Amino acid sequence: MSIFNRVPILRWIVPAAATALVIGGGALVANSPADASPPLAPRSAAQLLVDIQQASVTGLSGTVVQSSDLGLPTLPGLGLGGDPGSANLTSLLAGTHTLRLWYAGPHQLRVAVLGSLGESDVIRNGNDLWTWSSKDNTATHRTLSSDEPGSSEKSDSTDRQPGSGVLPAISGMTPQQAADAALAAISPSTKVTTDGSAEVAGRSAYELVLTPKTAGSLVAQVRIAVDATEHIPLRVQVFATGQPTPAIQVAFSAVDFNRPDAAQFAFNPPPGATVTEQDSSKPSAADRAKERKAATSKAAGELGAPKIVGSGWSTVLVMDASSGLGALTGRPGPAKSSDASPSPSPTAQPPGAALGGILTALPKVSGSWGSGHLLRSKLFSAVITDNGKIAVGAVAPDLLYTALSQ
Amino acid sequence: MSTVELPAGGAAPIGLRRPRPVSSRFLRSELRLIFGRRRNIAGLAVLALVPIIIAVAVKVSAPRPGDGPDFFASITGNGLFVPLAALTVEITLFLPLAIAVIAGDSIAGEANLGTLRYLLTVPVNRTRLLAVKYAAITIFAVAATMLITVVGLVIGVALFHGGSMTLLSGNQIGFGGGLLRVLGATVYLAVQLAALGAIGLFLSSLTEQPIAAMAGLVVMTVVMYILDSIPQLGWLGPWLLTHRFTAFGDLLRSPVAWDTLRQGVICAASYALIFWLASWARFAGKDITS
Repeated sequence: MSIFNRVPILRWIVPAAATALVIGGGALVANSPADASPPLAPRSAAQLLVDIQQASVTGLSGTVVQSSDLGLPTLPGLGLGGDPGSANLTSLLAGTHTLRLWYAGPHQLRVAVLGSLGESDVIRNGNDLWTWSSKDNTATHRTLSSDEPGSSEKSDSTDRQPGSGVLPAISGMTPQQAADAALAAISPSTKVTTDGSAEVAGRSAYELVLTPKTAGSLVAQVRIAVDATEHIPLRVQVFATGQPTPAIQVAFSAVDFNRPDAAQFAFNPPPGATVTEQDSSKPSAADRAKERKAATSKAAGELGAPKIVGSGWSTVLVMDASSGLGALTGRPGPAKSSDASPSPSPTAQPPGAALGGILTALPKVSGSWGSGHLLRSKLFSAVITDNGKIAVGAVAPDLLYTALSQ
Repeated sequence: MSTVELPAGGAAPIGLRRPRPVSSRFLRSELRLIFGRRRNIAGLAVLALVPIIIAVAVKVSAPRPGDGPDFFASITGNGLFVPLAALTVEITLFLPLAIAVIAGDSIAGEANLGTLRYLLTVPVNRTRLLAVKYAAITIFAVAATMLITVVGLVIGVALFHGGSMTLLSGNQIGFGGGLLRVLGATVYLAVQLAALGAIGLFLSSLTEQPIAAMAGLVVMTVVMYILDSIPQLGWLGPWLLTHRFTAFGDLLRSPVAWDTLRQGVICAASYALIFWLASWARFAGKDITS
């Protein structure tokens, strides 16, 4: 104390040291998964892929944090980043979102999307499929028939999340699903390596690294951390070129491989909630496939058959949308009125309708290929030309222009 | 104001007998000051009025589901949501404002009235003075949040029925469990406000104008809210005190999601520690001129 009395300015060392300690400690906690490299026996990429295929997890519960930093422009009508605390299932496009996951075999699954003061749940318990939204105080119930995905189709890989066909909005968001999507893209165009080992949610994991061989892609790397003992993906990161932080990351922040209590999958709509009983005959797998096919062919009819330019990771899709331009510019078109989806969720909207309102807000570009509007993000670009052509790809805009002029 | 503090030092009539360092007399006199001032009582009355207004308004016109701010639609189902709705409404401005008034007044108010030097000429250690002042702010934070909760519970259960509570996850728990979670949310918010109070204590040690310290804390709170809402500054969010104010909602999940709550408490404790030490560094070396 005496030194503090003689030189009072030295007192400020104490709060400064506390600040440094807290910030340093906080940063250490935040970055520890990346720093720690627990020693694991080396494992080849092929071995890891087999491990993933053979993984059999009977139950798990955990917290998944999904964050997107696509660098999309702020546009009206998309709702991107508008409400970061929103528990809406379709708001996963931007920002950081937290999901809680309970899984006990393909017939018991619960996913909860956490909002700041709300929650959206999807619960599958046997043949019952419930969705719950605390903001609206609504629940929907659907009785699944036995040919639903998750009962027959997924029997070979029990670790898959069931209900993926029912809720496309969240199925792509769990590490397992995101990894499946990335692995499906593996082709001769991709270099698959393993890179050391990582620690995710306090567990040791191998990292599978997918690097595009083709030049020109905006995707620099896809890294998948695979649990060393349970062999399920714990983290998926998609890096854009020239970016030190992942553009998309889906990772467990906590995971427990004990089978969750059966009570966790029981759902009874609370009194006062609006419960919608959905027709169990209509959304059978065959019907929905038919529906989807009809919707796809309708969309394809409007947009024209896509032309594929390039290959692998630098593929560019060029579509002729001149006939469906009514939908694109927001004018009422045939696509809107005939939306077959039972619940009017924004994901069920044709993409053109969502694009229409924001088209004019996009920067204008022009070149020898013509002129149009450019949507640019860290992972993909899209050009909508004034004569109704759309070019999309995980590439820089230059490659889109080249594809358009072909 | 100065007369009540005197007993703290008055207990040393004989040379060897010094006041016990843990004597609560100073703290008790401080609390008497805070809860005895008419403006503070009026402020607490305003805080307590909010749950009453909410409950009556909802009773008169039941909002449709999905309408209104958080928890409002749930009130008709269970009176336990009245305190939650009131806390959600008040945590944005009213509660930080109340803490700003108390914390901003703590040092600067005494300095402004000229009572600070009398307080210090009584053998009150400056560190102890800061500790007592901060303890009183913390107790006020607990009292203010508890007041809202208790008033909300009473009016909520009186106007709407109690019974089972529907959690955010859609599950139902009994009234006792629901009550426990509401009290947990109250304590969590009190901890957050106490951290805000530490910032206020520091600002109060910087100036002799209590209004400046009060305004400073309100401005800091609003600035933190603004910074937290800018998407481009998303990396900054977890470091801001206000970022996890609404995490008390995690107590209403099944099972309780502790992660954010734990981070919120750690964040609040860090803020409290740093700003208390900063006010110590400032105040212990400060010349008391008034």
